[in-house]
Amino acid sequence: MDAVERANAEKQKRWVKDQKVGEGTYAVVYRGREAATGRRVAIKKIKIGQFKDGLDMSAIREVKYLRELHHQNVIGLLDVFSSKTNLNLVLEFLDSDLEMIIKDRSLVFLPADIKSWMAMTIRGLEFCHRNFILHRDLKPNNLLVASDGQLKIADFGLARDFADPGYKMTSQVITRWYRPPELLFGCRYYSSAVDIWSVGCIFAELMLRTPYLPGETDMDQLRTIFRALGTPTEEEWPGYTKLPDYIPVGQFPKTPLRDLFTAASGDALNLLSRCLIYEPRRRITAIEALHHPYFTGLPYPTHPSKLPRPASRASRPLEEVDGNVDMVDSGPGVKAVASNRLKRKLSSPMDGVRPLARRLDFTQHKGS
Amino acid sequence: MTAEPSETHSNSPPGKAPLYEASTQFKSWRYSPKRLRHVRQTLNAAAVAAIRKTLEADEPGSSTSVSFLQPDDELLLVKLYTTKIPQLCGHFRFPEEVEATAISYLKRFYLKNTVMDWHPKNVMLTALFLATKTTNNPISLDSYTSNIPKTSQSDVLDLEFLVAQSLNFEFAVWHAHRALWGLWLDLQSLPDVTESLRPLEVYETALKHVRVSRFTDAELIYAPSQIALAALSLVSPFLCQKWLDSKMPSDPIAAESHRQILEQTNSEIENMIMQHGQPPDVEAAREVDRRLKLCKNPEKVVGSKAYLTRRAEEERRAEEKRNKKAQDIRKTSEGEDPFGSQLAGSQESQSVDDDDDD
Repeated sequence: MDAVERANAEKQKRWVKDQKVGEGTYAVVYRGREAATGRRVAIKKIKIGQFKDGLDMSAIREVKYLRELHHQNVIGLLDVFSSKTNLNLVLEFLDSDLEMIIKDRSLVFLPADIKSWMAMTIRGLEFCHRNFILHRDLKPNNLLVASDGQLKIADFGLARDFADPGYKMTSQVITRWYRPPELLFGCRYYSSAVDIWSVGCIFAELMLRTPYLPGETDMDQLRTIFRALGTPTEEEWPGYTKLPDYIPVGQFPKTPLRDLFTAASGDALNLLSRCLIYEPRRRITAIEALHHPYFTGLPYPTHPSKLPRPASRASRPLEEVDGNVDMVDSGPGVKAVASNRLKRKLSSPMDGVRPLARRLDFTQHKGS
Repeated sequence: MTAEPSETHSNSPPGKAPLYEASTQFKSWRYSPKRLRHVRQTLNAAAVAAIRKTLEADEPGSSTSVSFLQPDDELLLVKLYTTKIPQLCGHFRFPEEVEATAISYLKRFYLKNTVMDWHPKNVMLTALFLATKTTNNPISLDSYTSNIPKTSQSDVLDLEFLVAQSLNFEFAVWHAHRALWGLWLDLQSLPDVTESLRPLEVYETALKHVRVSRFTDAELIYAPSQIALAALSLVSPFLCQKWLDSKMPSDPIAAESHRQILEQTNSEIENMIMQHGQPPDVEAAREVDRRLKLCKNPEKVVGSKAYLTRRAEEERRAEEKRNKKAQDIRKTSEGEDPFGSQLAGSQESQSVDDDDDD
């Protein structure tokens, strides 16, 4: 056996898969542990054999960036190894995510709790931006929360390096509700400001406990944004009507954020409004946001360990499996029976199920 | 700086380490010249021993007449294929980043593997294809292989995993040409360096030196910024001085010691570029390739006896594993509701079979 193969085999032995917790078209996620220490991990097995172009881009991006990024508020990639035609990513095990927490109606959020989650989100994001990396898919469901309350940015499947000036990027990134207007208008030159818009939407969602700008189509998304924040004027956002996919979606008046966010502090609203500035160049940056008075003013952010946590796992109900998730099957022997046509529920309790891949959207926690 | 690269030479205050020092490149892919030689010798010796053993097992006495490759022979052949990457990239019009990344991958690969196991031709093709993806410039495998003569899709894909593994899945590479661009931007902001003092040809010639440096070991020994500075200094010692002046600490003693170190590394890198940057002698490389045909690892030669033996052994093990898996499943599924009692979490404690047949 070659040295490289041997090293790989040793890595493989280091980790034990305990339980399959979800399966999508491209990946299977297991709950696992480190053999020697028992430390809990999540193992994401990406099936490479299916891709005609070899290792697929989202796997490559995720591995590339997580290999480089080491920060308390960015999910840790502990190891990577291959097995036959699969790529295995060993990730930090994280109990829950911000979407679950927001939707858990039994939890009460204090302003200090929201501040703590925001601080951790922006700290993680500032670290990405400092490393010249755009995340391009920030949403509550990609902000995972560890058992000690630390929030970690996950899913770097759409991430990329900052482009050089004049280099075109795709505008088809970021989940619609969190997508900034410049991308909806087809802007191909953009920067870290796109992530900041998403952060603004997440901030609003934490306060409202429901998605702030839930558009039904890309067009409707623009309308939803303008209805909430007013149609931008040429002065507010110079030149936006010249963007490639510009389309007028109607004139809406500006309403003060205060009308909707009745309980928010002045500092909170100021930070929110600066994340949601139309002109991307005027939008607050991550480092500026960290220095915003909101974070230094009272109340101080809640210590991560004291943050609200979702109800105990045992009591969480089983979820109907989302359409793009296959059944957990126990191998060839029973495959014929447990076929997709039988609309079975996910066969394992949802404990510790983490949305690790974009395509693994099995945490559709519909208001439990 | 030529001694063992140490983690301590950074003068930055704690917590303020340069981003570069957090990179996998800094942590995993820097060597001293001595270490580099050692790695290559060790790999070469191990490969020779293994192949000798295989040959002897096949036919006793057969290895004595074989002229195995020496570390320098391997290096020569790798270098030949390194120089093919810019040609291919020109053909495909890939950006410079793809080219530089592919070259780094190829070099890094042969710090974990030997030419006698894996011929650089296919490794080069795979490294380049992988680099298009890791630098976010993907093209389809189909259009990639159809534009390279006598190349099948499997020539590229079969090794992709091995290459990725050998790189330890560390795909991000910091490049000297980026550093050079940074130096050039810096120079443009220096008040006393007027436009006439920094003609664009300086940058362009320095960039050529950076490109030449890719055919040397420079990137495995020095930081991208060191290579860039040396390339600049080769073209314009004056601009190099200007840039250094602007970065030096105000303390004259510290400045002097920095300057001495940098001048030392500059001259070392300049030597590498001038002496080792030439394309390899094709005739010599061809000769190595001829010898390689006789000494390459038979276990990796499709159809050879050693290859078949190895395959049979692998197949036997896989079969064993499959049988065991099937048995386990039979055991667990016996007497179970066909719709599965798993919902109750009955399999909770059972370990997942680690097999990857799916």
